[in-house]
Amino acid sequence: MSRRVFITGYGVITAIGNNAEENCTSLIHRRCGFGKLDFLETVHRDRLFACEVKLSDDALCRLAGVSIGAGYTRTTLLGLVAAKEAIAAAGLSDADVQHAGLISATTAGGIRELERHFYDLQDPGKKGAFVAYLDTADPGEHTERLAEYFHIKKCLGTVSNACSSAANAIILGERLVAHGEIDCVICGGAEALSKVTINGFNALMILDREHCKPFDENRNGLNLGEGAAYIVLESEGSFQRSGRRAIAELAGYANVNEAFHQTASSPQGTGALEAMKRTLAKAGMDTADIDYINAHGTATENNDLSEGLAIQRLFGDRTPPFSSTKPYTGHTTSAAGSVEAAFCLMAFQQGCLFPNINFQQPMKELDIQPLTEVTHPVRLRNILSNSFGFGGSAASLLFAKC
Amino acid sequence: MACYINGAGMISPQRTYDNEAFLTDIASYDRNVLTCLLPNFKDYIHPFQLRRLSRMLCMGLAAATICLREAGIETPDAVIAATGYGFQEDMAKFLTEMLEQDEQQLTPSYFMQSTYNALAGLIALSVKCLGYNTTYAGKGFAFETALQDAMMLLREQEAQHILAGSFDEASPVQFREYARLGYFKKETISNLQLFDCQTPGTIQGEGVAFFTLSAVSAPHTWCRLKGIRTIHKPVDYRELSEALTTFLARHGLTPGAIDVVVNGASGDVIRDRWNTALLQDAFPNAAEVRFKHLCGEYATATSFALWLGAMILMRQAIPDAVQARPVHPCRKVKTVLICNHFLGKHYAFLLLDREANGFSCP
Repeated sequence: MSRRVFITGYGVITAIGNNAEENCTSLIHRRCGFGKLDFLETVHRDRLFACEVKLSDDALCRLAGVSIGAGYTRTTLLGLVAAKEAIAAAGLSDADVQHAGLISATTAGGIRELERHFYDLQDPGKKGAFVAYLDTADPGEHTERLAEYFHIKKCLGTVSNACSSAANAIILGERLVAHGEIDCVICGGAEALSKVTINGFNALMILDREHCKPFDENRNGLNLGEGAAYIVLESEGSFQRSGRRAIAELAGYANVNEAFHQTASSPQGTGALEAMKRTLAKAGMDTADIDYINAHGTATENNDLSEGLAIQRLFGDRTPPFSSTKPYTGHTTSAAGSVEAAFCLMAFQQGCLFPNINFQQPMKELDIQPLTEVTHPVRLRNILSNSFGFGGSAASLLFAKC
Repeated sequence: MACYINGAGMISPQRTYDNEAFLTDIASYDRNVLTCLLPNFKDYIHPFQLRRLSRMLCMGLAAATICLREAGIETPDAVIAATGYGFQEDMAKFLTEMLEQDEQQLTPSYFMQSTYNALAGLIALSVKCLGYNTTYAGKGFAFETALQDAMMLLREQEAQHILAGSFDEASPVQFREYARLGYFKKETISNLQLFDCQTPGTIQGEGVAFFTLSAVSAPHTWCRLKGIRTIHKPVDYRELSEALTTFLARHGLTPGAIDVVVNGASGDVIRDRWNTALLQDAFPNAAEVRFKHLCGEYATATSFALWLGAMILMRQAIPDAVQARPVHPCRKVKTVLICNHFLGKHYAFLLLDREANGFSCP
């Protein structure tokens, strides 16, 4: 009874590009988005670099095609830009979009605007343009604004499952289509940088002041990033009816919890291992079927050890090429799962794999090493993508090329 | 695949946490804000944990524990949590500290504890649930999405017993923003007069609820969750009423088959309009019950409605405190329809029923 679910389009905006094409060019030419913060007003802007989308909020409004001053948060604007691109790429008509669902992920939501206007918003006597940001801090806000923009009414959901959120949004979307609840759903995540996020991660002492080095012995923490990405999921009937084509099938997925620690992964990577195993099982595939792994690879001591060990345990000496693309975009937290899903789809379309920038010295605990150069593999059929997060959350997605 | 509610844990501004008394002793509040009546957390949470957890995390973990005990389950197969606004209190603490200390010398605990999935992660850790775990966050639909997800998981046979629930707190930050937006009443009222004052705006509430949703029924089953339908910002009343008619038809029901309607009216004379119209004379055989005077308005208040509807089905009794329009007292309650709205923007319909065997009139 379960229907197969396909991806017909995607859109993405990150520090390395405002659309899919720009992102792809940057990935191929090793251009990273890491640098000084120009738009987020934080005391750390000259010391704690991150991967910022180099557009002001007003410029983002123009890019998204919405009025300035209408209370769109930066998260919503990033989301709008990417979702519009995804819809156009999939070739959906206005009517298709209105009947589609929208599942979007975020954690920061409108926190950036809340922190900027906090005292004004809390002062009932104060007047000003900031009032447009009343009640816009919660995660659901961006989903609703997107839904209103696209006239989507029936099926709305907001996932906030820390750094695996966007992967979980894609999983929920897959299931809604597989169950026949809906024929087409736009899934992904959006996340703007905020002072709360930067200071929170800084307080957790997991930010690298230098450019991050995933899977390197000398890795020293993550870089934060911002961005949004959406993919369009459809049933076979849905895109074939109008003669459109799919890029890939979402062939497998898993969401598990390792119930180990509130913020840390187990050093052995039990959650990561279980998520990848179940994903393969769901797709009816073997480890030998996987041609590339887009790793979560945040470059924290903890993540790369547990994820690296899990990959090594599952794939052994037949580990396929793997890389973390986070040095390019930074860790876009709740959007990371969909940003990296978009990169996997790009890999299919370009027939190439993107490198793990900054890798120099292998980790002493691992026998495997990430990919360091752009490569054009002979065979690229199936890609596994990992997303892990606080709260023990572990998710994997498996894309099969159409 | 059926979805049975085999247990619930509800912490609300009324004494609901022990599932014993059924809204007999009603708590009143006179400042437009309703806050939860708390159980003794020590009965549910290890003292070591208790010291480190915020009020919301304690409430969440306690409600989850009450629910699992009620259902006789130690470890569910999946945990799904939902919240409109998350841990606002802790988020505000981190945020104000950050602003006041100019982003210096911050400790991460408020940040960690205010991550939206902190509760679902904590529950998984406490009950050793290694399965599916997710959190939905977002104004009026988070709890509904959680229930839809749970029903799909049961159909996929990915899980037999799912712990699904919601949490939202009455935070001052939210109160001030809502007051400015006109969502709350200007005048100060008692919660018990919520439906008498006929003025715009509602009152602030909060609540934490967990339910065990299972593929199999048990002798202690409360009821069955048959279906859910949500609609976001319907363009007009017709779109909303058609959505309800289609929803009932999809489940093979006519309005006459509904025995109890749980009306999510919030006492807001403007934003209640469509909900009131929807229920007016449409369900000839149904008793009507209301509940937001007992728990206040909050983003995941549908969970209070679900607890109430499920309790009515299990007990075959309607407490006086919620009666808006009684029916013949001896009518068996087989089918309950919940019609909730949040701020007149998010509408949700839920259908509950209980098979008619073994019920008798009190």
